[in-house]
Amino acid sequence: MKEPVNLALRLGLICAVAALALTQVDAFTREPIALAEARAQREAVAAVLPPFTELVADTLRPGEADQALYFTGMGPDGPVGTALVTASGLGYSGLIELMLGLDAEGNVNGVRVLRHAETPGLGANYAAPELLDRFYKGRPGGGEWKVTKDGGPVDAVTGATVTGRAICDAIDRGWDRWSRDRDRLGAPGKKETP
Amino acid sequence: MTATAVFFRGLWKENPIFRLLLGLCPTLAVTTSVVNGLGMGLASTFVLLCSNTMISLLRGFIPRKVRIPAYIVVIASFVTIVDLVMHGFFFELHRSLGLFIPLIVVNCIILGRAEAFASRNPLRLSVLDGLGMGLGFTAGLAILGGVRELLGSGSLLGIPVLGADYPPALVMILPPGAFLTLGLLLAGMNKLEQRRAIRAGEAYAPPREMDCGNCVLCNLGENLRSE
Repeated sequence: MKEPVNLALRLGLICAVAALALTQVDAFTREPIALAEARAQREAVAAVLPPFTELVADTLRPGEADQALYFTGMGPDGPVGTALVTASGLGYSGLIELMLGLDAEGNVNGVRVLRHAETPGLGANYAAPELLDRFYKGRPGGGEWKVTKDGGPVDAVTGATVTGRAICDAIDRGWDRWSRDRDRLGAPGKKETP
Repeated sequence: MTATAVFFRGLWKENPIFRLLLGLCPTLAVTTSVVNGLGMGLASTFVLLCSNTMISLLRGFIPRKVRIPAYIVVIASFVTIVDLVMHGFFFELHRSLGLFIPLIVVNCIILGRAEAFASRNPLRLSVLDGLGMGLGFTAGLAILGGVRELLGSGSLLGIPVLGADYPPALVMILPPGAFLTLGLLLAGMNKLEQRRAIRAGEAYAPPREMDCGNCVLCNLGENLRSE
């Protein structure tokens, strides 16, 4: 009877010390992690929007399942574009999350990959900013997003058709949501209401 | 064994990847570029160093019967620390290594060194063993990553070196490229060792630790039976 108690006590003690150490490290790194995440998000927003002077964040339907966060860039003459986070589950391995930037007319102004688990050296090449700018910038949003194999205009990385499809899908989803929500946003493309 | 020998054997004679063939999951999975290999290797080295230190210090305290769970708790804690610190301070590297950081927990080099070395050797030797094995692992990952990046993307450390005319051999970036490269490197290492043995007039024998009869890890079952 004595030995099992001894074993449990010692193992328990090791676990307790480990847990204590982890709470300390967690408390110490929580703020840097939040800052790094926020900085990455800000950089992505800045990269996908046309030049703006001020950024307005809009949360639609807060607390609901389809909560959506929009970043609207304001220029001297009003809104210049909107950025939103969009995602697709059609990737080669798991979810691909994008920051999608649309200009005032709803054309794609820029795309940045926020999170993915695609094959390194292959699908993961889609995360390269130069490549995203070359293939996705300036195309109109809505519907026509397809890779060459499916009869569309976009084919950036040979051998990574699945990833390309997923990115098109994510852009479509983002555009659809934005076109549903655009009336409720601070703009752009907001219709005048009397 | 002298302290220098303990440190240096991890680099060549008992290199975890090329001689002991341990930790092959991250070896094959993350070595698509030099930077990924180095990042993974250094993160693993840090965990190995910390876990060897802690387990050597606790070797009188941890009861034999619950040593494996105790080692896992120690290792998993250090891996979580590395994960959090990298997430906060090395955001880009953390993003590119992603899933493989938590998987350091199950890297068998780390549990292997805890069981085979740190749990029965004093602190100083355990630290040297962790450093040597970790750096040997890092070097192996960087070499593998270098070969695959060079042939698969025509670049080294992200800088194009083979010119725009070079058609990248995509297979080298894909999983088969990892197996091919590792196999050829292993064959090359054996050839070198054989040649060295012939020149020294000895009979060539694989490292003692690769012989099942001497492997400390495989004595696990035997140790338990004798208790």
